Amino acid sequence: MLRSLANVPVELSKLFKWKMTMSNNYFNTLALRDQLEQLGKCRFMHLNEFTEGVDALKGKKIVVIGCGAQGLNQGLNLRDSGLDVSYTLRQAAIDEKRQSWKNASENGFTVGTYKELIPTADVVLNLTPDKQHTAVVTEIMPLMKKDACLSYSHGFNVVEEGMQIRQDLTVIMVAPKCPGSEVRAEYVRGFGVPTLIAVHEDNDPQGQGLALAKAYAVGTGGHKAGVLMSSFIAEVKSDLMGEQTILCGMLQTGSILCFDKMVEKGIDAGYASKLVQYGWEVVTEALKYGGVTNMLDRLSNPDKIAAFDLAEELKDIMRPLYNKHQDDIMDGTFSSGMMADWAEDDAKLLGWRAETAETAFEKTPAGDMEISEQEFFDHGILMVAMVKAGVELAFETMTAAGIIADSAYYESLHETPLIANTIARKKLYEMNATISDTAEYGCYLYNHACLPLLQDFMKKIDTDVIGKGTVNDDNGVDNARLIEVNAALRAHPVEQIGGILRGHMSDMKAII
Amino acid sequence: MQIHLQQCQFEFEQGFQLQDINWQIKSGQHWVITGANGSGKSALVATLAGYGEKIAGTSEGSVEAVALVSFEAQAALIERERKKDDADILDVISVGTAVHEILAEGGTNANIVKDLVEKFALNYLLDRPFRALSTGETRKILLIQALASEPQLLLLDEPFDGLDADTLAMLQQYLAKLSNTVNIVMVLNRSDEIPDFITHLGYMRNATLAHSVARADESGYRELFQLLHLKTSDLRIPPTADSSTQALLNPDQPLVVLSDICVKYDQLKVLQNFNWRIDTGQHWQLCGPNGSGKTAILSLITGDHPQCYSNDIFVFGFQRGNGESIWQIKQFIGYVSTALQWEYRVGTSLRNVIVSGFYDSIGLYSKATDKQRQIADQWLALLGMQGRADQSFNKLSFGDQRLLLIARAMVKHPPLLILDEPCLGLDDINRQLVLALIEKICAAGLSTVLYVNHHSEDTIAGIENYKNIEKHSSNVD
Repeated sequence: MLRSLANVPVELSKLFKWKMTMSNNYFNTLALRDQLEQLGKCRFMHLNEFTEGVDALKGKKIVVIGCGAQGLNQGLNLRDSGLDVSYTLRQAAIDEKRQSWKNASENGFTVGTYKELIPTADVVLNLTPDKQHTAVVTEIMPLMKKDACLSYSHGFNVVEEGMQIRQDLTVIMVAPKCPGSEVRAEYVRGFGVPTLIAVHEDNDPQGQGLALAKAYAVGTGGHKAGVLMSSFIAEVKSDLMGEQTILCGMLQTGSILCFDKMVEKGIDAGYASKLVQYGWEVVTEALKYGGVTNMLDRLSNPDKIAAFDLAEELKDIMRPLYNKHQDDIMDGTFSSGMMADWAEDDAKLLGWRAETAETAFEKTPAGDMEISEQEFFDHGILMVAMVKAGVELAFETMTAAGIIADSAYYESLHETPLIANTIARKKLYEMNATISDTAEYGCYLYNHACLPLLQDFMKKIDTDVIGKGTVNDDNGVDNARLIEVNAALRAHPVEQIGGILRGHMSDMKAII
Repeated sequence: MQIHLQQCQFEFEQGFQLQDINWQIKSGQHWVITGANGSGKSALVATLAGYGEKIAGTSEGSVEAVALVSFEAQAALIERERKKDDADILDVISVGTAVHEILAEGGTNANIVKDLVEKFALNYLLDRPFRALSTGETRKILLIQALASEPQLLLLDEPFDGLDADTLAMLQQYLAKLSNTVNIVMVLNRSDEIPDFITHLGYMRNATLAHSVARADESGYRELFQLLHLKTSDLRIPPTADSSTQALLNPDQPLVVLSDICVKYDQLKVLQNFNWRIDTGQHWQLCGPNGSGKTAILSLITGDHPQCYSNDIFVFGFQRGNGESIWQIKQFIGYVSTALQWEYRVGTSLRNVIVSGFYDSIGLYSKATDKQRQIADQWLALLGMQGRADQSFNKLSFGDQRLLLIARAMVKHPPLLILDEPCLGLDDINRQLVLALIEKICAAGLSTVLYVNHHSEDTIAGIENYKNIEKHSSNVD
């Protein structure tokens, strides 16, 4: 989940300590068949399913809670789509004229307290950070109009914390799969960002949930870029898995291992820092366009085979770790562990964050040498292998757990370039600042388990696969082996579903 | 032969002067000189035949035989012949000089004369008095005389003007052959008449040779050619796909009414109590220093300014903030600015950039209809970019991108066309190009133009209303 969490009042985390004891993991209350049904929900919607535009929201009063990057930018889009949008903030944020208050009022929106605005709202968009959900929703629920709609952009509160929502309220989720600034920028261009929508079936008393969610997606421009119809459960379980393993965890672990190895082998630290910082972005750009196959096709034939072999080895080593993450997510171990840390005022999270800031990679500025686009591949064979292993493992683990391939694709391969881009901007600091606390917490868990796991593997790694590239004049390979590798690359299920979904996307984006 | 003029200043009758002329013509080069009316292009070429008095600068090189055919030379000859007719004091009726005598003047080659008279099919008038000929006929006679004088340097001022199609083709063919041995310098007004053998283009503006470029310099030549094309061709603005959104507007209502506008950022008020009404057909120029709020005003109109919802704004029949979408507003507006160009960093084709104007999008996210594609191609032809439809937008020169974005803005014939400093960041030639295109658009009368600029020299013919805003930002109390 990519969301900026600029201003989380610290005192909030204390507000729901009492609540935690009441909460039940919603997913765990369902029967297996219902769990599987919910996990299996994910469908790419066609443009012609959005012909009613924003009609379902027309004339309704939309009140947004929170005015950070998502809150502000979604609200700007909705208003420009002809909808009635205002913002509600805590009294303190208004009194102290905090940034969220400035964001909303400078853009000409009406701003009011919960008590002033929530009772007037037909639709309430909860765009606060996950961590605040229990406190916020508990506070606003009694204020909400009868039969109104409550919208989330992440299902953690409902699925993991078991928030019980008043039975007359409709509960939906609309989650643009991009940072808030991009949600706005794409809308202004006349396009949108891919968006996931879902209806919480336990809270759809009038059967209007889908119509409202669709209208909301149109209002933010998401329908133009592709909408996935999913479920709260599939969204949460796949989102958590993706973000803590391949997306953030693997890139963080990989960054540290690759950098340290290069420095150990005498490569200039500035070069190593640059190769890693920008390398993820360059190699995953190839991934975005043509999947794992295209990413490996950017390598010479011998290097491709080397990357393939490294990835196979990495997958064998890391598979138990991926399984553990998925298991912990499914049975609620992960979320209860994290909530316990919330109750400790994020002691672990903040400690790990400080630790990350102290890594050699983070502290070594990128050198000013030129690295050509192709060189990032040629000198970053191990990074390519790590991306391949992480994407495939996350995908395999998710689908094995009952998550449909479409969801698994979006939460692994599709989002990797977005995260890689944050590292290119400002290394791990930027990545961890951009992602949600939930993702960050999971990322550190992964990183701590994965670093020791790969210790032996890294011992035999040399600069031929990270830092210098192969110095082989002979580009020859064994034909049979090359054919085998090429076939295996293309036959992986993430490539099959990726081909279909990228086809949909490029149909929609056809021309650019 | 070679001629090299450096920092030359020439004075002509009635005080007309050419300034700062720097021009070098080498053997084997063939030039076309062009420019707007009154820019001095004929005068420049005439200096090569010894006209005008050089009052400054240096001129090197020499030419033994120069022949000039121009309206001025034609007029002088006709005047001479007319004076011969003033002989009534002798009480004889003068018939003036016969055509064949004129053709023999100046030591012309009789064989060439004979050949050309046949080619121009002028045998029938050889014995007539020159002054009895029509304008077109005298023109042809002068051409023959000049060609038959076997010059080293042939100066032709608008040689193709008024020729019928067959004669034109014949002459062009003849000149093409001649260009192997003779240096040719022409004044031409129409870009589509530039013969293939021409090696250099020169562009006169305000009595100076503002640009000169060799055909071998592909991009420079293309820019100059485009400028000529826009300045000189008889261009028509292409039609729009279905109907312009003009039809959706109530003709009795103003296009835009901004009432008592206030815009503030944090503690800074950039606009205060600003009022403006724009009626259909009223072209406006909006002027003001940097930071005076010009862009804020425009973005309130286009709906891109978030404070448009907290101000009293009436646009295209909508009182803003009543459930209209931004796309309902944008459909009435064509918009060009430097900021848009920065935003428009997409690898899409030139054709698609123009088509995106139908959708008000940056990039194209809908399939273009055949008709839209055709219209885009017509615009490309208008810009002198035919045949480049599939090129990538982000590979274009900055100036070409700007032209294309103006075409994108105009493609739907918007009721309001907003040009926010459309010449910003452009070099002189590209500025001329953009202004030439905008003048065509103003003249076509399809859109009300709102032109924002603080360059006083970049004025546009056809804009008569001026709105000046002062910089009046102040802190909120």
